[in-house]
Amino acid sequence: MRPVYVLGVGAHPWGKFPDKPQLHLAIEALSAALDDAGLGWRNLQGLVAASSRFEGGMGWGLHANEVLQAVAEIGVPAVNVGGGCAAGGIAVHTAASMVASGQCEVIAAVGAERMPKGFIPRPPGCPDDITDTDYLRWVTMGATNPVYWALEARRRMHDFGTTAETLAAASVLMHHHAAANPLARYRKECSVEDVLNSPAVADPLHLLEICAVSDGAAAVILGSEEQARRRGVPLVEVAGSAIATGQFGDPAARIPTVSMSAVGTAPHTSEVVGAVRGALAQAGMEPSDVDFVELADNTAWHVLAWPEFFGFVEPGQSDWMIEHGQMGIDGKLPINPSGGFLSFGEATTAQGVLQVCELVWQLRQQAQGRQVPGARVGLSAVLGLGANGASVVLKA
Amino acid sequence: MDTIEQIPVADELFRWSDDGADLIGSRCRGCGAQYFPKSLSCRNPQCDEKAVEPVLLGRHGRLHSYTIQHYQPPGLFRMDPFTPYAIGLVELPGGLRVMGMLAGCGFDNLRIGMPVELSVDVLYRDEAGREVITYTYRPGPEGKAS
Repeated sequence: MRPVYVLGVGAHPWGKFPDKPQLHLAIEALSAALDDAGLGWRNLQGLVAASSRFEGGMGWGLHANEVLQAVAEIGVPAVNVGGGCAAGGIAVHTAASMVASGQCEVIAAVGAERMPKGFIPRPPGCPDDITDTDYLRWVTMGATNPVYWALEARRRMHDFGTTAETLAAASVLMHHHAAANPLARYRKECSVEDVLNSPAVADPLHLLEICAVSDGAAAVILGSEEQARRRGVPLVEVAGSAIATGQFGDPAARIPTVSMSAVGTAPHTSEVVGAVRGALAQAGMEPSDVDFVELADNTAWHVLAWPEFFGFVEPGQSDWMIEHGQMGIDGKLPINPSGGFLSFGEATTAQGVLQVCELVWQLRQQAQGRQVPGARVGLSAVLGLGANGASVVLKA
Repeated sequence: MDTIEQIPVADELFRWSDDGADLIGSRCRGCGAQYFPKSLSCRNPQCDEKAVEPVLLGRHGRLHSYTIQHYQPPGLFRMDPFTPYAIGLVELPGGLRVMGMLAGCGFDNLRIGMPVELSVDVLYRDEAGREVITYTYRPGPEGKAS
């Protein structure tokens, strides 16, 4: 296996774009990434797309061949990967593997999504019986996604004494970071009072503590060391990349299941913890080597809990970190300098790719107004429906 | 007096009578792991036998966590009339945790660790006038949940 480098990154701003099909969002993000790399479509030797179900021809969701057929019929391999909201991370991982193995000199990974409004509905064509837990969670108890996160948040309050104010402060921090990010959809600063006064969705979580759904797209161009050096820009290496699935006995309340066997020794949110551990191991690094993290903050609870699950912070200590500004851009462990899902609204499959874009902007010291001082190593972590996890470690 | 017919919101999920309610799950004959609802296979990677059989899960457990659902969920979920309700995560003896609606308890009286007991409650009446019921957990007696 050979080293893999980031040649270019690009993203379409997040928001709601009813007049712009998913394919257009994908092409704009890819074009921006190619421009950033100083490359043209004809230079690509492969394209990996993060597929999800909401839009896209042939019922496949976004697919790489659709993009190529629309904009550049160059005959290269097209790979479409699933994995729910982790698909973006899995796409980057797949593209990195194709460079590392020597199959490609230059390859792109893309995620693009236009989300339905409000609560994410069940896809058509699923069986209406007990073999489909997504069906069950709706008909038996109407368990929305926020319900799952709220169960975790309530339990954390019981276990560690986390207060409503600290949960709110985590959301305030994400919105503070996003104020300087032109790609974010929600860029207005808010206060703890604003968060606590926003409508209660699933107690103890309020509207401003839960990520909305958005439209957006992001792309990453990866290549060999030779390709990277030819560009003559600061080198950003894919030091580690891993994907993983859930482990037996994981106590996480996992969407859309209605039960869990909390009997084993598996870590909480094991699909993501497994990916993070794998990416760090490949990079030959410890959590203390990481300067900042981009994680999937579907809620304020994730901002507190995930760094603990990954071993970056002792269990229960994230509250102190938040309360003392240590997860801010100038803190000990900056979390989501981009503003995270809470400020972007989740464009599912695009989100994992956007995380990698933000790592690159930070490591190139190009993150104006939200730059983590001296950032040299960044880690991403994303969770997808169906117990999928992905994580990337980038090094400047 | 006419009796109103009751039907479960999903088949093969739970059973009920005047005597009480039971969830229908699976138990692995090889390793003892329990699942809800019934599972295709045992998921324990250390288990080679993977011989699951239907089992009635225990009626009693402890509230591991809970939340209040303030907004009406989309489409598939039906409750007439809709009012905000609680959903709990209940830990059964043996370690299996089950999600379900909570009933018979004011929101302010919910406490993590409280004993709960399986029950059934009416969600709505269908077009044929039948009561459609789901399983719920209600406050239960001390001493049976662990």
